[in-house]
Amino acid sequence: MHEASIAESLIEQVLDLARLHRLQEVTRVHVEVGVQRLVVPEALELAFQAASEETLAAGARLDLTEVAIRARCQACGNEYDAEIDDYTCPSCGRAQAELIAGDDIVLVSLEGNREDEHDHRQDRSQRVGGE
Amino acid sequence: MTTVKIVRSVLEANDAVAAVNRKLLDEHHTLGVNLMSAPGSGKTTLLQETIPRLGHPCAVMVGDLQTTRDADRLRVDSVETVQINTGRGCHLSSTQVADGLAAIDLAGIDFLFIENVGNMVCPASHDLGEHFRCVILSVPEGDDKVAKYPTIFQAADIILVNKIDLAGILDFSMQRVLDDLAQLNTAAPVLTLSARTGQGLDEWVQWLRQKRSKRAAAAL
Repeated sequence: MHEASIAESLIEQVLDLARLHRLQEVTRVHVEVGVQRLVVPEALELAFQAASEETLAAGARLDLTEVAIRARCQACGNEYDAEIDDYTCPSCGRAQAELIAGDDIVLVSLEGNREDEHDHRQDRSQRVGGE
Repeated sequence: MTTVKIVRSVLEANDAVAAVNRKLLDEHHTLGVNLMSAPGSGKTTLLQETIPRLGHPCAVMVGDLQTTRDADRLRVDSVETVQINTGRGCHLSSTQVADGLAAIDLAGIDFLFIENVGNMVCPASHDLGEHFRCVILSVPEGDDKVAKYPTIFQAADIILVNKIDLAGILDFSMQRVLDDLAQLNTAAPVLTLSARTGQGLDEWVQWLRQKRSKRAAAAL
Protein backbone atom coordinates (compact mmCIF):
# COMPACT_ATOMS: atom_id res chain seq x y z
CA MET A 1 0.00 0.00 0.00
CA HIS A 2 2.68 2.54 -0.91
CA GLU A 3 -0.20 4.20 -2.78
CA ALA A 4 -1.14 5.96 0.48
CA SER A 5 2.15 7.84 0.73
CA ILE A 6 2.10 8.59 -3.00
CA ALA A 7 -1.41 10.01 -2.68
CA GLU A 8 -0.33 12.21 0.23
CA SER A 9 2.60 13.66 -1.76
CA LEU A 10 0.33 14.11 -4.75
CA ILE A 11 -2.38 15.96 -2.86
CA GLU A 12 0.24 18.25 -1.27
CA GLN A 13 1.51 19.24 -4.72
CA VAL A 14 -2.01 19.65 -6.09
CA LEU A 15 -2.97 21.97 -3.23
CA ASP A 16 0.24 24.02 -3.61
CA LEU A 17 -0.44 24.49 -7.31
CA ALA A 18 -4.10 25.25 -6.71
CA ARG A 19 -3.12 28.06 -4.32
CA LEU A 20 -0.48 29.36 -6.73
CA HIS A 21 -2.98 29.51 -9.57
CA ARG A 22 -5.76 30.79 -7.30
CA LEU A 23 -8.01 27.82 -7.91
CA GLN A 24 -11.03 27.66 -5.67
CA GLU A 25 -11.60 24.03 -6.44
CA VAL A 26 -9.79 21.27 -8.28
CA THR A 27 -11.95 19.07 -10.47
CA ARG A 28 -9.46 16.85 -12.32
CA VAL A 29 -5.90 15.67 -11.71
CA HIS A 30 -3.82 13.87 -14.33
CA VAL A 31 -0.79 11.79 -13.37
CA GLU A 32 1.56 9.65 -15.41
CA VAL A 33 2.61 6.57 -13.51
CA GLY A 34 5.66 4.54 -14.46
CA VAL A 35 5.08 0.79 -14.60
CA GLN A 36 8.20 0.26 -12.47
CA ARG A 37 6.49 1.96 -9.54
CA LEU A 38 4.03 -0.93 -9.10
CA VAL A 39 1.11 1.38 -8.48
CA VAL A 40 -2.31 -0.25 -8.41
CA PRO A 41 -4.55 2.36 -10.08
CA GLU A 42 -7.63 1.53 -7.98
CA ALA A 43 -5.59 1.72 -4.79
CA LEU A 44 -4.15 5.10 -5.76
CA GLU A 45 -7.62 6.41 -6.63
CA LEU A 46 -8.97 5.33 -3.26
CA ALA A 47 -5.98 6.77 -1.42
CA PHE A 48 -6.30 10.01 -3.38
CA GLN A 49 -9.97 10.26 -2.47
CA ALA A 50 -9.14 9.78 1.19
CA ALA A 51 -6.23 12.26 1.13
CA SER A 52 -8.28 14.92 -0.66
CA GLU A 53 -11.19 14.89 1.75
CA GLU A 54 -12.03 18.34 3.10
CA THR A 55 -9.56 20.03 0.75
CA LEU A 56 -9.96 22.08 -2.44
CA ALA A 57 -9.51 18.85 -4.37
CA ALA A 58 -12.26 16.88 -2.66
CA GLY A 59 -14.20 14.94 -5.28
CA ALA A 60 -11.66 15.63 -8.03
CA ARG A 61 -11.30 13.01 -10.74
CA LEU A 62 -7.94 11.29 -10.87
CA ASP A 63 -6.79 10.27 -14.35
CA LEU A 64 -3.89 7.84 -14.58
CA THR A 65 -1.76 7.16 -17.62
CA GLU A 66 0.69 4.28 -17.45
CA VAL A 67 4.20 4.88 -18.79
CA ALA A 68 6.15 1.88 -20.13
CA ILE A 69 9.69 1.12 -19.01
CA ARG A 70 12.49 2.43 -21.20
CA ALA A 71 16.05 1.44 -20.36
CA ARG A 72 19.61 2.36 -21.27
CA CYS A 73 22.09 -0.50 -21.07
CA GLN A 74 24.94 0.48 -18.77
CA ALA A 75 27.13 -2.12 -20.43
CA CYS A 76 26.73 -1.24 -24.13
CA GLY A 77 24.72 2.01 -24.18
CA ASN A 78 21.82 0.61 -26.19
CA GLU A 79 18.36 2.08 -25.46
CA TYR A 80 15.41 -0.30 -25.43
CA ASP A 81 11.94 -1.08 -24.06
CA ALA A 82 12.14 -3.26 -20.96
CA GLU A 83 9.43 -5.30 -19.30
CA ILE A 84 8.75 -5.49 -15.57
CA ASP A 85 10.07 -9.07 -15.53
CA ASP A 86 12.78 -8.75 -18.18
CA TYR A 87 15.38 -6.00 -18.40
CA THR A 88 17.84 -7.81 -20.62
CA CYS A 89 19.40 -5.72 -23.36
CA PRO A 90 18.42 -7.05 -26.81
CA SER A 91 21.81 -5.98 -28.08
CA CYS A 92 24.28 -7.48 -25.56
CA GLY A 93 22.07 -9.75 -23.44
CA ARG A 94 23.09 -8.23 -20.12
CA ALA A 95 20.64 -6.90 -17.54
CA GLN A 96 22.32 -3.69 -16.41
CA ALA A 97 19.48 -1.34 -17.07
CA GLU A 98 19.44 2.30 -16.14
CA LEU A 99 15.80 3.29 -16.34
CA ILE A 100 15.13 6.38 -18.42
CA ALA A 101 11.32 6.17 -18.44
CA GLY A 102 8.64 4.32 -16.53
CA ASP A 103 10.28 4.85 -13.15
CA ASP A 104 8.57 8.03 -12.04
CA ILE A 105 5.19 9.37 -11.01
CA VAL A 106 4.55 12.72 -12.62
CA LEU A 107 1.79 15.23 -12.09
CA VAL A 108 1.13 16.56 -15.59
CA SER A 109 -1.97 18.71 -15.28
CA LEU A 110 -4.84 19.72 -13.13
CA GLU A 111 -8.13 21.39 -13.84
CA GLY A 112 -10.25 23.55 -11.64
CA ASN A 113 -12.09 26.79 -11.22
CA ARG A 114 -10.41 30.07 -10.39
CA GLU A 115 -11.53 32.35 -7.64
CA ASP A 116 -12.63 34.99 -10.16
CA GLU A 117 -14.53 32.39 -12.20
CA HIS A 118 -16.19 31.32 -9.02
CA ASP A 119 -16.84 34.91 -7.86
CA HIS A 120 -18.39 35.62 -11.22
CA ARG A 121 -20.78 32.73 -10.81
CA GLN A 122 -21.53 33.84 -7.29
CA ASP A 123 -22.26 37.41 -8.43
CA ARG A 124 -24.67 36.08 -10.97
CA SER A 125 -26.42 33.81 -8.52
CA GLN A 126 -26.65 36.65 -6.04
CA ARG A 127 -28.21 38.80 -8.74
CA VAL A 128 -30.65 36.06 -9.60
CA GLY A 129 -31.41 35.66 -5.93
CA GLY A 130 -31.98 39.39 -5.57
CA GLU A 131 -34.52 39.62 -8.29
CA MET B 1 -12.54 26.22 -16.03
CA THR B 2 -8.76 26.56 -15.77
CA THR B 3 -6.21 23.96 -16.78
CA VAL B 4 -2.78 24.08 -15.18
CA LYS B 5 -0.12 22.15 -17.08
CA ILE B 6 2.94 21.14 -15.15
CA VAL B 7 5.48 18.36 -15.21
CA ARG B 8 6.49 17.66 -11.68
CA SER B 9 7.52 14.40 -10.09
CA VAL B 10 5.24 13.43 -7.24
CA LEU B 11 8.29 11.82 -5.67
CA GLU B 12 10.34 15.03 -5.69
CA ALA B 13 9.63 15.86 -2.05
CA ASN B 14 10.91 12.43 -0.99
CA ASP B 15 13.87 12.59 -3.37
CA ALA B 16 14.89 16.08 -2.21
CA VAL B 17 15.05 14.95 1.41
CA ALA B 18 16.90 11.80 0.31
CA ALA B 19 19.52 13.98 -1.37
CA VAL B 20 19.99 15.95 1.86
CA ASN B 21 20.36 12.69 3.82
CA ARG B 22 22.98 11.42 1.36
CA LYS B 23 24.94 14.67 1.58
CA LEU B 24 24.93 14.46 5.38
CA LEU B 25 26.27 10.90 5.22
CA ASP B 26 28.92 11.98 2.70
CA GLU B 27 30.07 14.82 4.95
CA HIS B 28 30.72 12.31 7.72
CA HIS B 29 32.22 9.68 5.39
CA THR B 30 29.47 7.33 6.51
CA LEU B 31 28.41 4.65 4.05
CA GLY B 32 24.61 4.27 4.00
CA VAL B 33 23.21 0.82 3.20
CA ASN B 34 19.47 0.25 2.82
CA LEU B 35 18.57 -3.35 3.68
CA MET B 36 15.37 -4.52 2.06
CA SER B 37 13.68 -7.90 2.27
CA ALA B 38 10.57 -9.79 3.25
CA PRO B 39 9.76 -10.08 6.98
CA GLY B 40 11.73 -12.85 8.64
CA SER B 41 14.58 -13.01 6.13
CA GLY B 42 17.07 -12.42 8.93
CA LYS B 43 17.96 -8.74 8.54
CA THR B 44 18.47 -8.13 12.25
CA THR B 45 20.43 -11.35 12.82
CA LEU B 46 22.56 -10.53 9.79
CA LEU B 47 23.38 -7.12 11.31
CA GLN B 48 24.15 -8.68 14.70
CA GLU B 49 26.68 -10.92 12.96
CA THR B 50 27.99 -8.33 10.50
CA ILE B 51 28.76 -5.40 12.79
CA PRO B 52 31.30 -7.15 15.10
CA ARG B 53 33.06 -8.62 12.03
CA LEU B 54 33.28 -5.24 10.33
CA GLY B 55 35.19 -3.74 13.22
CA HIS B 56 34.05 -0.23 12.33
CA PRO B 57 31.75 2.04 14.31
CA CYS B 58 28.21 1.47 12.99
CA ALA B 59 24.77 2.91 13.49
CA VAL B 60 21.51 1.17 12.70
CA MET B 61 18.14 2.61 11.89
CA VAL B 62 15.33 0.10 12.14
CA GLY B 63 11.94 0.52 10.51
CA ASP B 64 8.99 -1.51 11.73
CA LEU B 65 5.29 -0.90 11.91
CA GLN B 66 5.33 -1.56 15.67
CA THR B 67 7.62 -2.49 18.59
CA THR B 68 11.25 -1.68 19.38
CA ARG B 69 12.25 -5.37 19.42
CA ASP B 70 14.73 -5.17 16.55
CA ALA B 71 16.37 -2.05 17.94
CA ASP B 72 16.53 -3.71 21.38
CA ARG B 73 18.26 -6.75 19.90
CA LEU B 74 20.89 -4.56 18.26
CA ARG B 75 21.38 -2.14 21.13
CA VAL B 76 22.91 -4.93 23.22
CA ASP B 77 25.92 -4.81 20.93
CA SER B 78 26.65 -1.19 21.90
CA VAL B 79 25.67 -0.03 18.45
CA GLU B 80 23.98 3.32 18.10
CA THR B 81 20.40 2.36 17.23
CA VAL B 82 17.29 4.29 16.29
CA GLN B 83 13.91 2.63 15.96
CA ILE B 84 11.39 4.17 13.61
CA ASN B 85 7.82 2.99 13.96
CA THR B 86 6.00 3.60 10.72
CA GLY B 87 2.54 2.77 12.13
CA ARG B 88 0.53 2.08 9.01
CA GLY B 89 3.46 2.76 6.68
CA CYS B 90 4.73 -0.22 4.71
CA HIS B 91 8.13 1.34 3.95
CA LEU B 92 10.52 3.95 5.33
CA SER B 93 10.44 7.41 3.79
CA SER B 94 13.35 9.80 3.42
CA THR B 95 11.72 12.13 5.96
CA GLN B 96 11.63 9.40 8.58
CA VAL B 97 15.28 8.67 7.89
CA ALA B 98 16.07 12.40 8.20
CA ASP B 99 14.37 12.41 11.62
CA GLY B 100 16.33 9.31 12.56
CA LEU B 101 19.60 10.88 11.42
CA ALA B 102 18.92 13.87 13.66
CA ALA B 103 19.02 11.46 16.61
CA ILE B 104 22.40 9.98 15.66
CA ASP B 105 25.79 11.62 16.10
CA LEU B 106 27.34 10.62 12.78
CA ALA B 107 30.83 11.82 13.72
CA GLY B 108 33.04 8.75 13.72
CA ILE B 109 30.31 6.45 12.37
CA ASP B 110 31.60 4.57 9.32
CA PHE B 111 28.50 2.60 8.37
CA LEU B 112 24.81 3.36 8.69
CA PHE B 113 22.55 0.37 8.12
CA ILE B 114 18.95 1.20 7.43
CA GLU B 115 16.82 -1.84 8.10
CA ASN B 116 13.71 -1.15 6.05
CA VAL B 117 10.23 -2.43 6.86
CA GLY B 118 9.93 -6.09 5.85
CA ASN B 119 8.21 -5.84 2.48
CA MET B 120 9.25 -6.81 -1.04
CA VAL B 121 7.25 -4.16 -2.91
CA CYS B 122 6.94 -0.72 -1.34
CA PRO B 123 10.50 -0.01 -0.11
CA ALA B 124 11.79 -0.42 -3.68
CA SER B 125 10.15 2.82 -4.77
CA HIS B 126 11.57 5.12 -2.11
CA ASP B 127 15.05 6.58 -2.13
CA LEU B 128 16.08 7.15 1.47
CA GLY B 129 19.43 8.77 0.77
CA GLU B 130 21.41 5.56 1.06
CA HIS B 131 24.46 4.84 -1.09
CA PHE B 132 23.67 1.20 -1.73
CA ARG B 133 20.59 -0.97 -1.79
CA CYS B 134 21.01 -4.45 -0.43
CA VAL B 135 18.22 -6.96 -1.03
CA ILE B 136 18.12 -10.08 1.09
CA LEU B 137 16.34 -13.25 0.02
CA SER B 138 16.27 -16.08 2.54
CA VAL B 139 16.10 -19.71 1.53
CA PRO B 140 12.81 -20.57 3.33
CA GLU B 141 10.99 -17.93 1.25
CA GLY B 142 11.57 -20.07 -1.83
CA ASP B 143 13.67 -19.88 -4.97
CA ASP B 144 10.79 -18.38 -6.98
CA LYS B 145 10.74 -15.00 -5.20
CA VAL B 146 13.09 -13.21 -7.59
CA ALA B 147 10.67 -13.72 -10.47
CA LYS B 148 7.70 -12.82 -8.28
CA TYR B 149 9.11 -9.50 -6.99
CA PRO B 150 11.24 -8.35 -9.92
CA THR B 151 11.46 -4.61 -9.24
CA ILE B 152 13.21 -4.84 -5.87
CA PHE B 153 15.86 -7.14 -7.37
CA GLN B 154 16.25 -4.97 -10.45
CA ALA B 155 17.07 -1.98 -8.25
CA ALA B 156 19.51 -3.84 -5.98
CA ASP B 157 23.23 -3.03 -5.76
CA ILE B 158 23.95 -6.31 -3.98
CA ILE B 159 21.84 -9.40 -3.38
CA LEU B 160 22.33 -11.64 -0.36
CA VAL B 161 20.85 -15.14 -0.24
CA ASN B 162 20.63 -15.81 3.48
CA LYS B 163 20.04 -19.04 5.45
CA ILE B 164 21.92 -20.92 2.74
CA ASP B 165 22.59 -23.67 5.31
CA LEU B 166 18.93 -24.68 4.81
CA ALA B 167 19.15 -24.99 1.02
CA GLY B 168 19.49 -28.78 1.04
CA ILE B 169 16.63 -29.37 3.47
CA LEU B 170 14.26 -27.10 1.56
CA ASP B 171 15.16 -28.10 -2.02
CA PHE B 172 16.13 -24.54 -2.79
CA SER B 173 17.61 -24.13 -6.25
CA MET B 174 20.29 -21.45 -6.36
CA GLN B 175 20.42 -21.95 -10.12
CA ARG B 176 16.80 -20.89 -10.42
CA VAL B 177 17.57 -17.69 -8.50
CA LEU B 178 20.53 -16.95 -10.77
CA ASP B 179 18.52 -17.71 -13.93
CA ASP B 180 15.80 -15.28 -12.84
CA LEU B 181 18.36 -12.64 -11.89
CA ALA B 182 19.94 -12.96 -15.34
CA GLN B 183 16.82 -11.27 -16.72
CA LEU B 184 16.68 -8.57 -14.06
CA ASN B 185 20.08 -7.59 -12.81
CA THR B 186 23.47 -8.88 -13.88
CA ALA B 187 25.35 -5.93 -12.37
CA ALA B 188 24.74 -6.68 -8.68
CA PRO B 189 26.93 -9.28 -7.00
CA VAL B 190 25.05 -12.24 -5.50
CA LEU B 191 26.44 -13.60 -2.24
CA THR B 192 25.20 -16.75 -0.53
CA LEU B 193 25.58 -16.73 3.23
CA SER B 194 24.21 -17.84 6.54
CA ALA B 195 24.09 -15.36 9.40
CA ARG B 196 23.56 -18.32 11.74
CA THR B 197 26.61 -20.40 10.78
CA GLY B 198 28.77 -17.50 9.57
CA GLN B 199 29.20 -19.03 6.12
CA GLY B 200 29.84 -16.37 3.47
CA LEU B 201 29.90 -13.46 5.91
CA ASP B 202 33.51 -12.63 5.11
CA GLU B 203 32.69 -11.82 1.46
CA TRP B 204 29.83 -9.56 2.57
CA VAL B 205 32.01 -7.75 5.09
CA GLN B 206 34.69 -7.42 2.42
CA TRP B 207 32.18 -5.90 -0.01
CA LEU B 208 31.09 -3.34 2.61
CA ARG B 209 34.67 -2.33 3.40
CA GLN B 210 35.54 -2.01 -0.28
CA LYS B 211 32.54 0.19 -1.02
CA ARG B 212 33.37 2.47 1.87
CA SER B 213 37.03 2.87 1.01
CA LYS B 214 36.16 3.51 -2.64
CA ARG B 215 33.78 6.30 -1.65
CA ALA B 216 36.25 7.72 0.85
CA ALA B 217 38.96 7.73 -1.85
CA ALA B 218 36.60 9.44 -4.31
CA ALA B 219 35.79 12.14 -1.74
CA LEU B 220 39.45 13.10 -1.30
